[in-house]
Amino acid sequence: MIPVLKKYSNVFAVQFKNNFVREAVYRSNFLTMLCVDLVWIGVEFSLFTVIYANTNSLAGWSKEQVFFFLGVFFASDALFTTFFQKNFWNFSDLINKGELDILLTKPISPVFLALTRWMSLTSIFNLFLGIGITIRYSHAAGFAGGIRWAMLPFWLLVGLATALMLRFAFSVWVFWTDRSWALSRLYYQFFHFATKPDAIFPVMIRYTIMTALPFAFIGSVPTRALLYGLHFQEYLLVVVVLLVFFFANSFVWRRGLARYQSASS
Amino acid sequence: MSSASASPRGVRKFFHYEWRLAALKNGFQDATAYRIEFLLEVLGAALIPAAIQWVLWYALFKIGGQTTVGGLTYEQMLAYTFTSILFTQVRGGDHDFELMEMVRSGGLSNYLLRPASVVEFVYIRGLAPKLFLAGLSLLIGVLVSFFVDSISAGRMVAAVFLAVLGNIIHYQIGAVIATLSFYWEEAYAVLMVKNMVVQILSGELIPLNLFPASMEWIWKSTPFYLYVYGPTQYALGRWSHVEFMNAVGVAMIWILGLSILTHWSWRLSIKRYLSLGG
Repeated sequence: MIPVLKKYSNVFAVQFKNNFVREAVYRSNFLTMLCVDLVWIGVEFSLFTVIYANTNSLAGWSKEQVFFFLGVFFASDALFTTFFQKNFWNFSDLINKGELDILLTKPISPVFLALTRWMSLTSIFNLFLGIGITIRYSHAAGFAGGIRWAMLPFWLLVGLATALMLRFAFSVWVFWTDRSWALSRLYYQFFHFATKPDAIFPVMIRYTIMTALPFAFIGSVPTRALLYGLHFQEYLLVVVVLLVFFFANSFVWRRGLARYQSASS
Repeated sequence: MSSASASPRGVRKFFHYEWRLAALKNGFQDATAYRIEFLLEVLGAALIPAAIQWVLWYALFKIGGQTTVGGLTYEQMLAYTFTSILFTQVRGGDHDFELMEMVRSGGLSNYLLRPASVVEFVYIRGLAPKLFLAGLSLLIGVLVSFFVDSISAGRMVAAVFLAVLGNIIHYQIGAVIATLSFYWEEAYAVLMVKNMVVQILSGELIPLNLFPASMEWIWKSTPFYLYVYGPTQYALGRWSHVEFMNAVGVAMIWILGLSILTHWSWRLSIKRYLSLGG
């Protein structure tokens, strides 16, 4: 087990180094992407600022609690954007252009290679920005702080795992559909559900975003866990849903591979 | 004038609209080549933002117990949400990104040899699916007007017209921004920023009258409210004819100003274009 982990860690380190060198060449990219992310954060804050200009509470959430949620959500999303997002934009090329061929010949999991090949290391800034926002609004949001801060990295990783599972579930169908553009767009449409606290949703949607499309696990559930703690059933739900997604994704990927015909040969 | 030039074909050649029609047809075929993708994109872009809006109103009115927000009742908010879906479909597409990519990748070289404006060509290609959606939105709007008193068919036609003007403005702004790629190689980030700002200031996410009075100047000083908010307000009868004509006038001024800016920025920037290889 340990030699396998070591091998994967070494490959990840090499991928990381390659991406770092590539991004160091395009330094202006850092500033432009930073600008995009800042505006995105600004838009989300503006939306809630306008809404809270008309009300004091949104489904029991105060403005500060929603901003605390936005901090957790941005930090969690930054992890996914930094390490995985770019790979999914190139996912259909793997199958359509036959780029998967080269990955299949390597003595390592092709999924691992496919998902760690491209990184946007400059997006890591958003992680710090998100954590900064979380800290800024923690007291006003009623966060107990102290030892509970130790749970923040864990919940950010839960958010990362959820985004990874969901994005994969939306992309893996490219083996059958040839183009993944519309499914990617659909993912980002559904992703809007992750940008709002789950408490505001009607029961049916809330149930959906905690089971079939668990977008609530990216920021909303972690925020509730940090602010109030969850019921035992909710902890169990997070584990079960992520495991189901993991096994379902693995199954569909294997079926897809069986169907794959190299486009490059 | 010879008899050949007076014939319909001669008229077509005189106004150079043959290539425009061909570009429109080509754009539509390209957008709908993968029909399921096209359908998924349209449905996704229509239903999810509407669902998000509905959820917000649900939280404010049903969970929060508010009776009015920004002077609007729950029913009025829903009417705004569902009417705005139609105009959200018409508002600008992503064809300004295509312009940027042409400059960045060198694909622009192929178009420079052609006797047609590349900016216009890309717009017309991208406009085709939007016109189809505009027609569909109009049809739905007119059908709804038979059953809903607050919407009239005439107002719906005029509102779609305003939304199409908004589409032109959106592209023109994108075309000007795309010229940045002559200088920085990438204008992707700035185009993305523009789209994000448009999302909130067009009225796609929330009705703009929810903005507090102190912040109204923000949306009033951009043309983005003409994309979704303006058409929706007029279609729902919340804007008078005078307000609508005023908005059309504002749109025309923006289009004229941006036409000059687009022409000028491309003429200036294209001198920096360097295409290597065959």
